[in-house]
Amino acid sequence: MKKLGLSLRYKILILLTLIPLITLSVYMVVALRIFEQDKIAYVFDSTSNMSSSMGNQMKTQLNSILSSCKPIFQDYLYEKAFTKVSENIFKNEFFLDLVTVYKWSGLERKYQKMALLEKDPQMFETSYQPISEQINQYLLEMYGQSRAVKMPFHDDRLMLLEKFVDPVSNETLIFVVVSKLSETAEVFRSALSQRLYLVAGDGSIFFGPEDEKEKNINNVFTAPFLKDGTTNVSQGAQTGKDSFGKEILASFSRVGFGELMVISTVDRAKALTAIQILLRKSLIFFVILIAITAIVSLIASGSITRALTSLFDATQKVSQGDFNIRVKVDSSDEVGALADNFNIMAAEVSRLLLQTAEKARMENELQTARTVQETLFPENNAKVGPLSISGFYEPASECGGDWWHYCEVGGNKIFLWIGDATGHGAPAALITSAAKSASTIIEQLNISPAKAMELLNRAIYDVSKGRIMMTFFLACYDPTTGELTYSNASHEAPYLMKKSGHDLTKNDLMPLNEVNNPRLGQARDTLYAQTSVRLEPGEMVFFFTDGISDIQNPGSEAWGERKFIKALVQANQDFPGPTESVRRFSQAFQEHRQGALLIDDVTFFIVKNEGIDIEGKTHG
Amino acid sequence: MGKLDVKMDKSSGTLNIHMAGTIDEDVDFTQLNLIDAQEIDLELSGVKSINSCGIREWIKWMATNKNAKIKFNQCPKVIVDQINMVDGFLPKNGKVSSFFVPYYNDNSGSEKDILFRYGTEFTEGDVKPPTEIKDDQGNEMEMDIIESKYFKFIKR
Repeated sequence: MKKLGLSLRYKILILLTLIPLITLSVYMVVALRIFEQDKIAYVFDSTSNMSSSMGNQMKTQLNSILSSCKPIFQDYLYEKAFTKVSENIFKNEFFLDLVTVYKWSGLERKYQKMALLEKDPQMFETSYQPISEQINQYLLEMYGQSRAVKMPFHDDRLMLLEKFVDPVSNETLIFVVVSKLSETAEVFRSALSQRLYLVAGDGSIFFGPEDEKEKNINNVFTAPFLKDGTTNVSQGAQTGKDSFGKEILASFSRVGFGELMVISTVDRAKALTAIQILLRKSLIFFVILIAITAIVSLIASGSITRALTSLFDATQKVSQGDFNIRVKVDSSDEVGALADNFNIMAAEVSRLLLQTAEKARMENELQTARTVQETLFPENNAKVGPLSISGFYEPASECGGDWWHYCEVGGNKIFLWIGDATGHGAPAALITSAAKSASTIIEQLNISPAKAMELLNRAIYDVSKGRIMMTFFLACYDPTTGELTYSNASHEAPYLMKKSGHDLTKNDLMPLNEVNNPRLGQARDTLYAQTSVRLEPGEMVFFFTDGISDIQNPGSEAWGERKFIKALVQANQDFPGPTESVRRFSQAFQEHRQGALLIDDVTFFIVKNEGIDIEGKTHG
Repeated sequence: MGKLDVKMDKSSGTLNIHMAGTIDEDVDFTQLNLIDAQEIDLELSGVKSINSCGIREWIKWMATNKNAKIKFNQCPKVIVDQINMVDGFLPKNGKVSSFFVPYYNDNSGSEKDILFRYGTEFTEGDVKPPTEIKDDQGNEMEMDIIESKYFKFIKR
């Protein structure tokens, strides 16, 4: 038997586990990717809104400062100094820390401070004088631009630079306004969900988160929009990397005031924290689902494979020759049907085995019966008194219903027997056995053929009770008279082949049918007639049963009476010895038969009067 | 009835029975009631064969009415052979009205069955065969039987 590989149960388990595992894994990867893209889009949208909102707020606030300062600027342009009006306005605008005016000096090639408004009298001296060089640099940078925003103090104060050209004197004036934007700065410092930056064109960070130590945004993170200076784009969102190499999601919005820009960044990992949580929970769910699937698969495959295992064990026993094994499966599915069919098959095989054994036994018995029946027949070739006898017998099955015999009765009479029981096979053979037994007794009685037939009839009738009958022809040759006396029980009339001085012809065949009576076994008290005919020396008699004309070839074509008579005439046209006659006749029907099975027993024998009486003298 | 096709028709006191096929052990003649019939006409031209078991059943069947006049019409050779061979196949109350005699020509191989009718081709104890039988090609045909055997029932 083939060696077993991986159990079917485990194959089903692996299959049922792998399918949901693979399916869920693919689903999870696709879903997470979509979710991640959606989340990033959401974050970009959120940060863009934030940066845009803060940008607009900054623009409004800066414009508001400049608008508030406008009367102050006008006052100076008219009065060449800050008047009381300017001072009052300055004092009332609480967010203004300082306003100062610088005029370009062509001789000194630098800007000179012309006027000053300050909330704190020492403010300029203490806060601005230390960075005068830096402020001068700012003033010089105003060449070619009319407005700038600077952040020299690293606190909440912004420095706005507004350039004017006096239309009367054609002098260049730059108003420097220092304003405190504490609330706005606080918004940048305390933003929670994202990090907000107010950045100058050179990357300087004006406002940013509380913990931000860097002064330039380029040191905080890198992103394409910081490098390529996409100044034409007022708003956008891109991914970048911070100084630690971590990915960030950055949105920017230009304020529209100088080169100011509001940038909003979110750590990508933090933004996608929900995905990590979802992934973890999904994995837990997967593990539970796979565990449940595995348990269910084990239970389900167990019920399937249990039945198959039973079937497998049963087939192993069958392969060892035990066909009495039966499989008990309660399921009504295909496996149940398979088990039922197996049980039916095993039962059928058992029955066939018994049947085969029974058949073998019966065949054996039939063979024994055939062997026994063969003892009922005489030698095929014999010389009894003046008669030469040669016969042929072949049953259609193991046992036959034909029987022939010859014997000497009363010292010199020769009895010739031939019969055919109804049907053929074992029942018919039993009747022939009865006929043989009766003949053994009759041989001792020295009685006439008619009387012998009566006794034979009673014997057959008593044995068969009318169920099986037998045609029979009994002849007695008396060498002293040269007469053949016969009695017939509805048997095929033998042919007496008369000698007429020439070769045998069909017209020389004389059927011995002058008397005829019912078959043996038909009625218990049937009387039989007899008659006599002369059997001249050299003449022959052909005794036969009706199976001869029924001999068929492989095409089921019967030999027929015409060919039978023709073969009989040809075989005996020169009145050969019986042995040769039988050989010739047998050859003729065997040529027709070509090995086909017989449909009825075939029996015949030929008797030839050799013309020698009991004293050894030749007659005629 | 299996391999034997039987049609029975009773009209004007005569039971007409038409048989065709094989008479063997499978034939159940008990279904064919002859008891009340006064005259029985058997038309047997369609009978193809009969075996020893069929003969036994036939004789039993014929014995169920020993008083009716039974006519055997158009008996084929298989029936005539049994009539000649088996005592009782043609019951004592039975008469052959007509029967077929096979003719053949050995040279051309032609075969023909000629119907012999009572009163024309045969009478009680005598047979008057047609003087000449020819096949379709005009070849003279001879009887394909042993006359002394085949006509035995007429002379009996």
